[in-house]
Amino acid sequence: MSVICPVCKKVKKNPVDCARHMFGTGDKPHKAWFEAQGLSFIDLLLDQATQPGNKSYELVGGYIEKAQKDIK
Amino acid sequence: MEKKLLRFSVNEVPYEIYINPKTLLVEAIRDHVGLTGTKRGCETVSCGVCTVMVNGMAVKGCSILAMQVDGMNVTTVEGLEKNGKLDPIQTAFLDEGAFQCGFCTSGMLMMAKAFLNETPKPKDEMEIRRGMEGNLCRCTGYNSIIRSIAAVASGKYREDK
Amino acid sequence: MSENKYAVLNTRVHNVDGYAKVTGRSTYTFDVKLPNMLYGKILRSPHPHAKILKIDYSEALKLPGVLTVATGKEDTLGVRQGIWRRYKDLCDEAILTVDKVRYIGEPVAAVAAVSEEIAEKALDLINVDYEVLPFVDDPMEAIKKEAPVIHEGFERNVNVTRQIAWGDVEDEMETADYIREDWFKLGGQHHMCMETRAAVASYTPDGKLTVWTSTQSAYYHQALLAGVLGLREGNIRVIAPYVGGGFGGKLELDGAQFCASILSMKCCKPVKVVFTREEDFIASKRRTPMYYYVRTGVKKDGTFCAREAKVFTNGGAYTGMGATALYLTGFFHSFPYRWKAYRYDGYRVYTNSLPSTSMRGFGAPQAMFCSEQQIDWIASDLGLDPIEMRRKNGHYEGYEVPGQATIASCGLDQCLTKIQEWVKSKGKLPKNRSIGISAAGFMSGGIFNWFDSPYSFSSAVVTINYDGTVELHVGAQEIGQGSSTTLALICAEALGVKLEDIKVHMGDTDHSPADLGAWGSRQTLMAGNATKMAAEDAKRQLLEFANAKLGFNIIYDLDIRQGWVYNVARPERGMSYYDLCKEALRGKEGQRIIGRGFYTPRRKGMISPAYSYMVQGLDVEIDPETGHIKIHESVTAHDCGQPINTLGLIGQLEGAASMAIGFGYYEYLPVEDGKVMNPNLVDYKLIRAPEMPDCHVIEIDTYEPEGPYGAKEAGEGLTNPHAAALGNAIFHGTGLQMKEAPIRAEAIAKAWKEKQEKGTEKKKK
Repeated sequence: MSVICPVCKKVKKNPVDCARHMFGTGDKPHKAWFEAQGLSFIDLLLDQATQPGNKSYELVGGYIEKAQKDIK
Repeated sequence: MEKKLLRFSVNEVPYEIYINPKTLLVEAIRDHVGLTGTKRGCETVSCGVCTVMVNGMAVKGCSILAMQVDGMNVTTVEGLEKNGKLDPIQTAFLDEGAFQCGFCTSGMLMMAKAFLNETPKPKDEMEIRRGMEGNLCRCTGYNSIIRSIAAVASGKYREDK
Repeated sequence: MSENKYAVLNTRVHNVDGYAKVTGRSTYTFDVKLPNMLYGKILRSPHPHAKILKIDYSEALKLPGVLTVATGKEDTLGVRQGIWRRYKDLCDEAILTVDKVRYIGEPVAAVAAVSEEIAEKALDLINVDYEVLPFVDDPMEAIKKEAPVIHEGFERNVNVTRQIAWGDVEDEMETADYIREDWFKLGGQHHMCMETRAAVASYTPDGKLTVWTSTQSAYYHQALLAGVLGLREGNIRVIAPYVGGGFGGKLELDGAQFCASILSMKCCKPVKVVFTREEDFIASKRRTPMYYYVRTGVKKDGTFCAREAKVFTNGGAYTGMGATALYLTGFFHSFPYRWKAYRYDGYRVYTNSLPSTSMRGFGAPQAMFCSEQQIDWIASDLGLDPIEMRRKNGHYEGYEVPGQATIASCGLDQCLTKIQEWVKSKGKLPKNRSIGISAAGFMSGGIFNWFDSPYSFSSAVVTINYDGTVELHVGAQEIGQGSSTTLALICAEALGVKLEDIKVHMGDTDHSPADLGAWGSRQTLMAGNATKMAAEDAKRQLLEFANAKLGFNIIYDLDIRQGWVYNVARPERGMSYYDLCKEALRGKEGQRIIGRGFYTPRRKGMISPAYSYMVQGLDVEIDPETGHIKIHESVTAHDCGQPINTLGLIGQLEGAASMAIGFGYYEYLPVEDGKVMNPNLVDYKLIRAPEMPDCHVIEIDTYEPEGPYGAKEAGEGLTNPHAAALGNAIFHGTGLQMKEAPIRAEAIAKAWKEKQEKGTEKKKK
């Protein structure tokens, strides 16, 4: 399902792709969104880089999905 | 520990030195006789940079006590040249560029010399490689050293040609 | 006149240090002995992380023969130094540490005594009260919120971050037909120089310090010592006698140099510190271990679209050169291909283990292990030829790596063709034998000046004597890689003399011009350019006298070749260079002709002024049940522009291969709970003569405009591809995808067993 990035409003194909995008930019506003959800950007990034499988992307994807309803 | 007298010759030159009996051969050569061509690279008899010849046999200088060569002749790299004339193995090393930093080179030369004394006509390259297995080199990847030994074995440096 | 384009370049000559090295006359720091010299030993931390509460060395001082003991708190300025001098927060290492230890083996105190044996006994008499702290020895642990803080001010123990990016990765990935992602783990490796770290320091009552040391850059150590000892650079003389190997491990200030200096300053006597092999393993720095996540998108015809990589490196306890490795691994992970979009995010993490630093390849062997294997796997997934896929996407002359580099010379395509021909020529291989290939390349020196040197990166002075012999003064450091011979050849070519006319002087800051030293494959290009400039300057001055003497028509120009000064249009007409030197000296009122040269890269992109290219092929026999391998043949197609020193080149490429194969297979360096588990040559495996394959090199002819006579680096780039080539041979032979380097025999055997079991299960179903 298509989602909108809660920070920069870019349209992404699915929540995991959007998570990938948010990790990828790594800029201050995107990182700040992680903090606001009570997520640790660096911990999730480390997990993503060192553990096979995309658990971090999927976890964040879940938060992105939940955030869709608040995006105007 | 009481020092003991060691009488031996190094490169055909007789020496008498008083040493602690724990002294390794390589230490006696470097610190007591004062020939620093022979190096030391490890504490586990693994690297071979301290290789010398004792009565013509290749020996790692860190693997025996100096007292064990009492009455024997030790050849070090300084003994390969005769009044400035290089041994064929040294010339071969120069021609093949069989050294880079040079720290393992003395040990390589001595091992190569001993190998060729024992096996003047190696049956193939692998026999040379196995003969040099005890000597580590971090710079050359060994192949230029093997080429040098093969060149000497092939008779390239024979004087009577 | 000779048919060859060049008089001396790319000819087989004896190394200029050859006679010294084959007759045992070459003396290393290991051999230096001075009158009144003491021996220093270092007390090292047994803990990976602890506060130093108190050091009591009173008992040690009572031991007869002990002259002095030094500690960080009492005897040093406590300066935290580092090689990235422009970035003060990355200058984080006070070598004789003052307040706390951050890795097992860190220097805590140093003793000077009349013999090594007494100094060692004295170490046992020093009592250190530690407050042991919790430690972390892996980035995965070190980054956690609750992890102990290793350096104040570095949140989550993240030491450095780096991003290299161009294009829009997300957009380009959308255009890909096939996307593959993999996770890799890269181990460390030890430099294992045959000469361990060593220094002899002699401080004299006039406030001057002389340090003999095994180093890759006498200038770096002069400047670094000045910074930590509070002395003027000019009052410190660093002498590098012959150096027994460096490979990236002898650039930073190390415990031998620092402790020898501090002890000598305390008692005003020469002090010699030589690391044992075990000390060298545990207490010097190593290749950076890394975690790599790589995601690559390609079109179904094999065209590369986008790649992203997220990398966490194990920085160990201090920054050192590790920050550069973080940067270079990210750049070379894109190399040598054209990516429409690329993004690398690198994080260097502090841990309580031995610090990670530069090592031959400098992050590129790790990068290629991941990239070149994944490319073969993608080719296999899509049913494409792996060589043609590389060719389709490869760099070419004139290509601009967006925002990073302009490729001015590139032999990649020819290299691929040569290796393709070799693979074809092998025909059908026997059972258990397979071929793996990998492309690679490397920089010819970096453009960066994070060291903050005010000097030209390389300088050279050429002085011509009455008899025509030439003094070549350079700062470029000979460490076995052959730089003195290479620079002598360039000087001989540029000036027009014979190699035996030249004497090379380097390795002494009192007599050599400053040079950044032997790292990053910089000396052939940078010191070579400086040398060529100096020699041409001297030649130009000489030819002024020749023009006057020979009196040719103004339409004729002169040159010098192999000692003959000649009319270029009528080469048989001229005079002897040796006669000309006599005339020139008289003409200059007894003053020798001096030529000066220097080089600093400017506006050459973000990484390097020039890049080498190569494709490596390995013919490997694999026993998948035991994991044992035998490399039957190594073939390299190699582009270094213009070869300068023929024997040196062959030697460097063979040596690079041995180190690269070590990274890929033999050299396992496990560190557990911060402790190096195999700090000796019995348990740390180096390749030996019987295992080393014959190496065939095919040189590809290109011309690098930025390099002296078109030359670029050789000998470090070739450390990059073998691990990947080995992995690819294993993949093609067994189907196994090995994602951890070194590829251990046990890992191959285990993966093979699992594969067989999976196959059996499938059959059962």
